[in-house]
Amino acid sequence: MDSVALRRLGFRLLWIALGVAFAFLVQWVALSSGQFNSNGQRLFFLAGLYVTLAVSLNLINGITGQFSMGHAAFYQVGAYTTGVLAAKFYSDGAGLASKYPLPWLIGMMFAGGLVAALAGFIVGLPSLRLKGDYLAIVTLGFGEIIRIIVQNQKSLGGSYGMDVKPKIDFIWLSTLLAIATIAISRNLLKNVHGLAFLAVREDEVASSAMGVRVTRIKIAAFLLGSALAGAAGALLAHHETFISKDTFPMDLSFIIVTMVVLGGTGSITGSTLAAITLYLIPERMRDLKDVPVSYAALGVIMLIVTVAFVRRTMEKDFSKLRTVKLVAPWFVSIVVVAVGGAALKNVGPLSKVIDGQQLRFVIFALTLITLMLLRPQGIFAHHEFSLQWLKKVLARFTKRSGEVAS
Amino acid sequence: MSLLSLDKATIQFGGLIAVNQVSFSLDKGDIFGLIGPNGAGKTTCFNLITGIYEPTGGSVTFDGKVIAKAGKSAGPESIAKMGICRTFQNIRLYGSLSAIENVMVGGFLRHRTGLFSALFDLKRAADETVELREAGMKLLQAVGLDDVADVRSRDLPYGSQRRLEIARAMATQPKLLLLDEPAAGMNPQEKMDLMEVVRSIRDQFGMTVLLIEHDMRFVMGLCEKIFVLDHGEEIAFGLPEEVRANPKVIAAYLGEAH
Ligand SMILES: Nc1ncnc2c1ncn2[C@@H]1O[C@H](COP(=O)(O)OP(=O)(O)OP(=O)(O)O)[C@@H](O)[C@H]1O
Ligand SMILES: [Mg+2]
Repeated sequence: MDSVALRRLGFRLLWIALGVAFAFLVQWVALSSGQFNSNGQRLFFLAGLYVTLAVSLNLINGITGQFSMGHAAFYQVGAYTTGVLAAKFYSDGAGLASKYPLPWLIGMMFAGGLVAALAGFIVGLPSLRLKGDYLAIVTLGFGEIIRIIVQNQKSLGGSYGMDVKPKIDFIWLSTLLAIATIAISRNLLKNVHGLAFLAVREDEVASSAMGVRVTRIKIAAFLLGSALAGAAGALLAHHETFISKDTFPMDLSFIIVTMVVLGGTGSITGSTLAAITLYLIPERMRDLKDVPVSYAALGVIMLIVTVAFVRRTMEKDFSKLRTVKLVAPWFVSIVVVAVGGAALKNVGPLSKVIDGQQLRFVIFALTLITLMLLRPQGIFAHHEFSLQWLKKVLARFTKRSGEVAS
Repeated sequence: MSLLSLDKATIQFGGLIAVNQVSFSLDKGDIFGLIGPNGAGKTTCFNLITGIYEPTGGSVTFDGKVIAKAGKSAGPESIAKMGICRTFQNIRLYGSLSAIENVMVGGFLRHRTGLFSALFDLKRAADETVELREAGMKLLQAVGLDDVADVRSRDLPYGSQRRLEIARAMATQPKLLLLDEPAAGMNPQEKMDLMEVVRSIRDQFGMTVLLIEHDMRFVMGLCEKIFVLDHGEEIAFGLPEEVRANPKVIAAYLGEAH
């Protein structure tokens, strides 16, 4: 082995070590912060799964450009596969799963991934003939069919659901799966093979004329994306110990799509960050208490005003004050809502309260609408986080404040 | 020896016969011009040769193999692999990829490593990526775009996009290069440069070139043989001088002006 190859191997091992270390760090943080609260730990665990789901869907939707809306089905197939296998091999604490939990779980990730990939193949078939909205509708339908079939199988617990024993709970493994999914996507895009995936997204006719095997690439994207989602499902099953139709609600697919679109279609960084934020926003607000109408009403009004103002600034205003005009309105609105809300709290009908649990979803929806209005290309657009990118952004910022913006 | 030959090739769209019993053949090393008024069926011929459309009659033979016959075609992907590549009249670059990335996609067809090695970023995949990038840079140099290699292709000026399409097609290492109106929208100087590029492609890389172009000075100055289509039918074939003097050709082009 020459020195270049050795260096390469060294770097590779270093990255793997870093990934594993990070995964254990997350677990450590989760365990020490959520000691009195298993819900807190679950948050960390599920965040890893959501990142996996979003980044794996990004492979299909963002990188290969096949608008698929059935991603939750793969997650579910992975979970139910694990459930079936666990039931077969578990016998009151004496089965394989309880004796060797880690190898068992890793095995389940592969099994769940494999069966999910099969489902992915089926859902991916329409992509060979359909595009855009049509494909979205068909994949949504296929996903729903799979979901409903699984939920109505007597052997899979029907509408009651199924127990998955034993509880195997490795937070680090969920983080590691997320990291692996990110790494795989990243590697793909780093090599020329990834360019062929992007080429299929950009122009199928041109790609096939360049000899890119479009069919193969689409199928590969579906297989890969669904397998990763299936592996996430396997982890979920053993973590939850009980899976049912409520574990996989219909809107799950939409949420995953939202994460990808919001992050910036095609951007791995964007999908990752959007998955974490969109998952955490509603979760964090679970303890939201009752809110007087005065705050809510003022909040909505100020949001509309601010968005309108900021949009105008983005389109028309290129003066020196641009940055100030983009940032300041948000703080002004917060102050207005806080002060005004408190002042009007006791005025007639404004003093009524709204249930925090209902408000949670409104806030979530408003966040999405705001982001889509202000940054339709997604938070990261097509960019990826890297040192080079950071340098470029910083350079642009210093230039902008240095000279009069052009 | 003829590299490509069409034998009574026909394409019918519903009631419209876009290409009607067209026969011609190209010799290796030719720069061959395909001309005719708007709607004559030139682009449709390209789509037929590259497998985007299937012929409804006749056949196409390339390099001794039949690549298309009535109702059947080897398909664009295999045809590209056999050695025919093209540019598009309405530019079809990968807009959000950079110039060099566009060219690398062209080279992807000759890659040897599988998806697996890309997903795990194995050395052979990385090496091949570097190889394709280097080969791509050479091609960008050949068409004079090496200084904008990292610019998104969508942001390039029109003339550069046309040249980038040529570089991308060349990256597939074709034996036959099809250019659909490569000089459209270029100024006279750019056209002169492009003529040089096409000539050097033939001389340096030993490619055979078939091109569609409306600019007569460009076609007459560059092509050794010219085939003229009108309403899907052959009306003339021969050396530039012969074609230029052909009364049918003059009539077809004058007729169009009315
Ligand atoms: N997919 C299609 N379906 C139906 N008709 C088509 C199709 N493609 C081309 N045609 C028709 O076939 C005829 C030939 O079109 P083609 O694009 O080959 O012309 P062209 O010689 O390239 O013209 P131009 O110089 O304007 O590019 C036109 O009448 C066109 O409308
Ligand atoms: Mg045309």
